[in-house]
Amino acid sequence: MTAAAAAPGAELRPAVKSEARGDSRRRDRNWVLALVALLAAEIVYFSGTVPGFFGGGTGLLALTEQFLDVGAIALGLAVVILTGEIDLSAGTMSSFAGIVMAVLWRDGLEIWVAVVVALLLSAAVGALNGLIITVFKVDSLLVTLAMQFILGSVATALGGASPPYGFPKSFVSIAGTGTIGPVPNQLIVFAFLALVISLLVGRTRVGRSLTLVGFNRPAARYSGIRVNRTIVGAFVVSGLMAGIGGILVSGLYNAARDDIGNSLLLPGITIAVLGGVDIFGGKGRISGVIVATFVLGFLTEGLLVAGDSSLSATMVTGILLLVCLAFKIGLDHRRGVDVRALVSRRFRRLQSIGDPS
Amino acid sequence: MSQAHRHRTRADQPDTSTITVDAYGERLVSTSPPASTRYVASHVSKAFNGAPVLHDVSAVLEPGEVHSLVGENGAGKSTLFKIMSGLYRPDAGELALGGERLADLTPRGALQKGVYLVPQEPTLMAHLSAAENLYVGALPHRRMPFVVDWSRIHREAATYFERVGLDIDVETPARQLSIAQQQLLECARALVHNCRVIMFDEPTSPLTSHETGILFDLMRALRGEGLALGFISHRLDEVFEMSDHLTVLRDGRMVASAGRDEITRDQLVTAMIGRPIGVRTRVRRTSDVTDRREVLKVEGLSSRPSFEDVSFVLTKHEVAGLAGLVGSGRTEIAETIFGLRKADSGEVRLDGEPLEHRTPRRCIDAGLVYLPEDRGRNGIFSDVDLARNVTAGIVPRLPLRWRLISTAREEAVARDSAARTSVRAASLGASISTLSGGNQQRAMFSRWLLAEPRVAIFDEPTRGVDIGAKDDIYDIISDLATSGLACLIISSDLEELALTCDRVLVIYEGRIVGEVRDEDVTTARLGELVVGGGRR
Amino acid sequence: MSATLSVEKAEPGGAILRDVLRKAIRLRELQLVVAIAVVVAVSALAHPSFVSPGNISFMLADSVVTAVLATGQTIVVLAKGIDLSVAPILGIAAVVVGFPAQNHNLPIVAALGLVVLVGLVLGVGNGLFVSVTRIPPIIATLATLSVYGGLQFIIANGQEVVNIPNAYDALGNNDVVSGIPWVLVIGVGIAVVVALFLRHTNVGRAIYAVGNDAGAAHRSGIPVQRVIFATYVLSGVLAGIAGLLYLCHTGSADSTTGTDSNVNLTSIAATLIGGTTLTGGRGGVVGSVIGAVFLSVALTAMVFARIPAIWEPAGVGLLILLAMVTDRHSSNLAARARRHRQGST
Repeated sequence: MTAAAAAPGAELRPAVKSEARGDSRRRDRNWVLALVALLAAEIVYFSGTVPGFFGGGTGLLALTEQFLDVGAIALGLAVVILTGEIDLSAGTMSSFAGIVMAVLWRDGLEIWVAVVVALLLSAAVGALNGLIITVFKVDSLLVTLAMQFILGSVATALGGASPPYGFPKSFVSIAGTGTIGPVPNQLIVFAFLALVISLLVGRTRVGRSLTLVGFNRPAARYSGIRVNRTIVGAFVVSGLMAGIGGILVSGLYNAARDDIGNSLLLPGITIAVLGGVDIFGGKGRISGVIVATFVLGFLTEGLLVAGDSSLSATMVTGILLLVCLAFKIGLDHRRGVDVRALVSRRFRRLQSIGDPS
Repeated sequence: MSQAHRHRTRADQPDTSTITVDAYGERLVSTSPPASTRYVASHVSKAFNGAPVLHDVSAVLEPGEVHSLVGENGAGKSTLFKIMSGLYRPDAGELALGGERLADLTPRGALQKGVYLVPQEPTLMAHLSAAENLYVGALPHRRMPFVVDWSRIHREAATYFERVGLDIDVETPARQLSIAQQQLLECARALVHNCRVIMFDEPTSPLTSHETGILFDLMRALRGEGLALGFISHRLDEVFEMSDHLTVLRDGRMVASAGRDEITRDQLVTAMIGRPIGVRTRVRRTSDVTDRREVLKVEGLSSRPSFEDVSFVLTKHEVAGLAGLVGSGRTEIAETIFGLRKADSGEVRLDGEPLEHRTPRRCIDAGLVYLPEDRGRNGIFSDVDLARNVTAGIVPRLPLRWRLISTAREEAVARDSAARTSVRAASLGASISTLSGGNQQRAMFSRWLLAEPRVAIFDEPTRGVDIGAKDDIYDIISDLATSGLACLIISSDLEELALTCDRVLVIYEGRIVGEVRDEDVTTARLGELVVGGGRR
Repeated sequence: MSATLSVEKAEPGGAILRDVLRKAIRLRELQLVVAIAVVVAVSALAHPSFVSPGNISFMLADSVVTAVLATGQTIVVLAKGIDLSVAPILGIAAVVVGFPAQNHNLPIVAALGLVVLVGLVLGVGNGLFVSVTRIPPIIATLATLSVYGGLQFIIANGQEVVNIPNAYDALGNNDVVSGIPWVLVIGVGIAVVVALFLRHTNVGRAIYAVGNDAGAAHRSGIPVQRVIFATYVLSGVLAGIAGLLYLCHTGSADSTTGTDSNVNLTSIAATLIGGTTLTGGRGGVVGSVIGAVFLSVALTAMVFARIPAIWEPAGVGLLILLAMVTDRHSSNLAARARRHRQGST
């Protein structure tokens, strides 16, 4: 299966032209384009059938406030999934961050300082996740599952019977429901985050390490990439983004929510998967996650505005996740990717028959 | 043989006549072996990813005989047995057992027909007991068809264990067994399924001589019972001791096939080594090089149980080799130097500076690079394009513009390096998995060139590479040495080492047992040392 | 045979070694029993009523639902899977029989058949996604968790079961003898049946084989995908039965039964703590049941120590982490010891 032989070396065509690109990134780009088309179709559909959805454009933009918090979480989740791990604690991490910030503010700290402390704490817990995973070699699924419940408890306990609410206007404006013209501030914040994460993953050395670790962990190790450090870093990012999501939630409701955490995880993962991030690591673009945020977000909001309950919206999300994955895995199967080998590769790290590595 | 004697031996065998149907209602164990268990493989060919591994190979396993496959690493021996046991499907050729043609053979089907391969690495179920491992997939049942008959399993397992020479408690978890015991367990498994054809893939590599003796006793007993046995080994002494018939493979082709008494050891070695395509004379660098500065010094390096007290030196402009059998510790030494394994003791110095707390990153940054042997698992990133594969070793040094990776400059860097090693690909953006084995390996070389190393360790640099590309890779290594790089080639291919190296160290069972220089670097001398010769 | 290969033995007698080996295998269960004893002892010292027959009965009964769920979870985890959707399956089962029981006095035997059916159907759903479409179990069951949760909401339709027939209540809350509740007997009975299934049937052994090495199992003729599918069906059935037990014990069921409590977490925790790890292929029901009892005892001890119920999930989470970290350690130690024994090449 040799590629067409060009004269050695000197005439290797540049990779920048997209038609010259034969690796997974072309497929990723196609997926993102498909998502954009889907988004457009969706907006048109809902705007046509559901009154109040489009709202002359302003309504549409305002709707985004409802789901950008999940989008932030999804960005962080995507980073972790790209390395081949998973972070189930992202949902309750948001509650945790929101509650910590609110409690610190209530007890006298200036709101923005409280925000910074909460975010630092989220990042620290993320680092803790990463450390337990890499140092004790426990599977990320277990560690983050346990952490999910630990954080949930902490959030509920700290929040107490009635969690703090009624934050200062500056906070609510920026992190919550304020707008600049028709554009919600949250959207601006999200755009900034999206840009940062996108550049981080796609255009920095750290991001390159991340994706290489996801593609082939042993090869990354042999290439000198500091695998453990990279994984811990990914969890720090995930923790931080989940924390930001929690701050946005608090801003949106103008109250710290200790109950919302668990319901953010599923949409977060769905957005990441829908966005094209491969559940086994390596493949996927952040741009896909960004578009998927809006795809799922508007889908949910469209259903809600049309009168469906939030419950059915959740069910739809779950079904969407299943369908999307089944489709992707089916595609991979047909393309000849050995899914079982991928799964066992992912689990091989768990083999504990005296393997020193 | 008296009537009484025959009765006695029959009573010793466990009653296997009722294991006809497995848990899923399918016939798994043949109660009556086929009329003849002559296993014929004819004109078998197989290629992986475009690289041919076997070409038009034929072999016959006769009942009551041990048939050995001999050849260098990568000659295709394992592949042939794997095809014959149903693990791989041949691209061309036929298999016939007892005259009956076997089409679309699967491992399960092979087992049903009574064919079993004892693999190079054990595939036992670690957490199940030894007894249960014998019967996995075909557990005997009691009156009700889904209830497992444990007492029978344990009783019969004990009998089988005794038969193969395994003195263990039947309920020992398989993970607690040594390699030798696991191999015997695999043999027992073959016997449980009434297999009449058993193939052994490099069984003796990890065994002590005592354990090898036990295995050979068993093989002789099985041969006496009329089984057809296949055997692969690097150790020619063993091959000559055990075989009735030998087949030599070289580069995927059959070059000789004879009875044990029809071929001498020298003839065998000649057939294995053969002559290279295109006569090569060894490039002599040593004469016209003045700078023999010591670049790498390894002193007293140990990592038990893999290797002990390894010391050697590499100088600038040198191509040195490290020869040894599979399992002798060669790769472990390289991995320890490179920081992937912990050393129990010893020191590594680069240009006089000690390299402590080694990690791959530290080594690469200091100028020591390692090209691992298993390219598919540890080398290439399959779904990633060529450019990124090439730059994977220097991620912390990727060119930046405005704090972000400059794709254009990265590509230029990758293109230059790929050009130096003549990688042939449609474009830099092509997925590396579309490249041939030879080009992939060239890409690996270009990866490590980018790190501007002073010392490079190449582990099996031409594995899975077609003949034409092999020569190119030797040229690459030669040029690198000329420009100053100190190279260490680890290889099972003695011819390769003889061609390319000024000096070869030989390792046997974890220790350096010899060093051969200049004119003494011949395949014959190396072949002697790698099997521990000269120490007996 | 002139010479044979043996496992290193301290004494020539095989019997003594066999005992020691068996004990080593059961180490995790022993650890748990010791841990339970310690917690009980400490709590009893501080609060003597901890060991009253009433409290013991309570703790045991409380552990039964988790134990039954954990039994199903064990089956799935043994084959290297995980089932996060057991909570809504429990809930749907409770609701589906709860209303007929309350309104139409559904006989308890019929209820049993009904919950088994419900669990079967929902388990089939999980099995389809994992084994047919090959979606990784963690994601698939995370998704079905919410889908089934929504289904439960729809079925319950905003109503609540508040009244159950006497037969149900007796089953759920009465004791066989003082201190031993009926539910415990049932729970133990179920665990015994499943344990026998796993140990003495070919399907049970196939589950272990698949968890050890799916590839080798496939080559030995085991239909791997079918086995994995079966594990999810069994987990569903057991979750359904747990739903009936829950209904009998608490006398209530509504649209959020199951998901409103920690049973998802505790079923997984009991399984993991009990020695059946996600790597698959090893462990068993006995450990999981002891794990469930341990969790119940530990959580009750927390209550007695006046730790607010809010901290229960955190406590369980910490126990999971502890169990995982010590498990790594002990298996690494064992591996290191083995390599040492096999020292010379």
